[in-house]
Amino acid sequence: MKKFFVVMMVVFLVALLVSPVMAKKYTIATVVKLDGIAWFERMREGVKKFAQDTGHEAFLVGPPRADAALQVQIIEDLIAQGVDAICVVPFSPEAVEPVLKRAMDQGIVVITHEASNIQNAHWDLEAFDNYAFGAKLMDYLASYMGEEGEYATMVGSLTSKTHMEWITGSVERQKEKYPQMKLVTESPLECYDDQTRAYENMKELLRTYPNLRGVRTSASTAAPGCGLAVEEAGLQDRVHVVGPSLVSLSGQYLKTGAVKVIGFWDPADAGYAMNKLAVMVLEGQEVTDGMDLGVPGYNKLRMDGRVLYGEAWVFVTKDNMDQYNF
Amino acid sequence: MNGIFSRNEAFVALIILGLVLIIGSINPNFFTLGTLYDLLRSSVVMGIFGVGVLMVLVSGGTDISFTAIAAFCTYVTSRYLNSIGFEGSVLVAFLISGAIGVLLGLINAILISSFKLPTLIVTLGTGNMFRGFMLAFIGTKIVTVLPPGMIRFSRTEFFPVTTLIGGTNGLSAAVFVLLAVVPVTWYILNYTMLGRGIYAIGGDRVAAERAGLNINVIQFFIYCYVGFLAGIAGIVHSSLVRTANPFDLVGTELSVIAAVVLGGARITGGHGTILGAILGVFLVIIINNSLIMMGVPSYWQSAVIGMIIILGTSITALQSKRESRVSIVDNQ
Repeated sequence: MKKFFVVMMVVFLVALLVSPVMAKKYTIATVVKLDGIAWFERMREGVKKFAQDTGHEAFLVGPPRADAALQVQIIEDLIAQGVDAICVVPFSPEAVEPVLKRAMDQGIVVITHEASNIQNAHWDLEAFDNYAFGAKLMDYLASYMGEEGEYATMVGSLTSKTHMEWITGSVERQKEKYPQMKLVTESPLECYDDQTRAYENMKELLRTYPNLRGVRTSASTAAPGCGLAVEEAGLQDRVHVVGPSLVSLSGQYLKTGAVKVIGFWDPADAGYAMNKLAVMVLEGQEVTDGMDLGVPGYNKLRMDGRVLYGEAWVFVTKDNMDQYNF
Repeated sequence: MNGIFSRNEAFVALIILGLVLIIGSINPNFFTLGTLYDLLRSSVVMGIFGVGVLMVLVSGGTDISFTAIAAFCTYVTSRYLNSIGFEGSVLVAFLISGAIGVLLGLINAILISSFKLPTLIVTLGTGNMFRGFMLAFIGTKIVTVLPPGMIRFSRTEFFPVTTLIGGTNGLSAAVFVLLAVVPVTWYILNYTMLGRGIYAIGGDRVAAERAGLNINVIQFFIYCYVGFLAGIAGIVHSSLVRTANPFDLVGTELSVIAAVVLGGARITGGHGTILGAILGVFLVIIINNSLIMMGVPSYWQSAVIGMIIILGTSITALQSKRESRVSIVDNQ
């Protein structure tokens, strides 16, 4: 009987020692640009799901205003709280570099998103390569245009790096694969992320180029702006609008066919994937080129220095728009 | 010198005429009825704002809160009408939005006339306040499905024509809102005691006071009326873009002021006409909406607009300088 107790005791002690190793729970914070907007509410769903699936304590925070300084403050608070990992979608990558360095110095794992030029992070996870995304959008536009005819391009502003990369990717794909298509705008038109401006640009394009068959937009508000102009003119069957946008912004024009295809990435998946990557680093697992995070679109990551690219693009037409609530 | 060409309006009209001829010679597609419809439609919101700004400038003040008021009014109205499932006429939207505009204008008026604060500072403050209040307490979510009345209003078009590309184009119903606002304001400014009082306090405040004008009453009227116009412009804007976006409009106030100044109104007050303000707005709208047709690359668009504003205002400024010299000579 005594022997049995001793054995039980030993088993119990060993179990006590092993259990934290077997199921260590990490605290992981995801810091976003701006709290409360639809995009990051959707990301919160992904982070919550990660917490439920894995049992780690994962949560999402962000400043009430889009302000780089406020975001830095939040990260400072998290360092003081002693979280295990921080996933950041920086408002301005340059502005968070010093505070992220401090976090890393204290042994906190740092993962970033939408910041391919970041220096102070273990990894930066991008939903996709911008040029490849642009090329994909061009494939859609070309298929609606029958691979021929005139098209125009639009960006939020010529200084927006992401928008320019999307457009460059599209135009290069067109030159390489669709020689029958012709770009009429020498440099992309600017819409300043303003829906009214995009609408007016589109109206003017229709006046200036009577043979126009398509437009590749960039700002999320440009597709609905152009779509409205197309719909008002009753040209849904002739002029095709394709570009990045969200269902919440472009849904009514997808329905009427004034906007044909919109592309984006799902912030919920991005949040989930970032948290998963953070845990991998915390557990000391090796991050390799071509690895699978087990999240849709992040199954075969391409490694480029510190940056990991997924293929997590989502393309939405009127047929699958009901699956997205943001 | 007292002929029609001594007036600022004539210069702006000449610039517009020249510009139209240049655009048309570069791209003959410009000379269609559809183009005129598009330009008129684009002018409505800026035109209503311009009429309000003119009234403030004439009185010697500067209002930069009107865009925030417009965004506030239309966002709150759209959210409210959607929440009660209102399906009736757009007129109700105009009434609610206009009423909210009057209330917000009243706040401006109280601060300006009771505390005798500079109008620019007051409206700089209230503009930020209205916007912040809306974003913090009412919401940031863009309304993409407007009340049905507003959608019907935006779809209403008259005299449709077929465009070059094969679609159709009609004169937007929104244009008639501007066509109502302009004569009403013109009448107030030119044929009522109130309107003449606005010119008087802008020309010389002290003299106006001694002449027995009640400056407080006049200022209350001005800022409430501008708030009302902003509310109307907000609904027109939301209807035309078919979304009520709380982040919209704010940031365009300086281009509206520039357009009105281009039309001959003086920042120092006392001078300016409705016709001039509307012509100034047309000029800016034509420039904004024709650079693609002229093949001006995006890089150059803002530069061209800036140059025309400087050119236009310097012509009117030189004109007024010569005018004052002439009147001194006449007096001697």
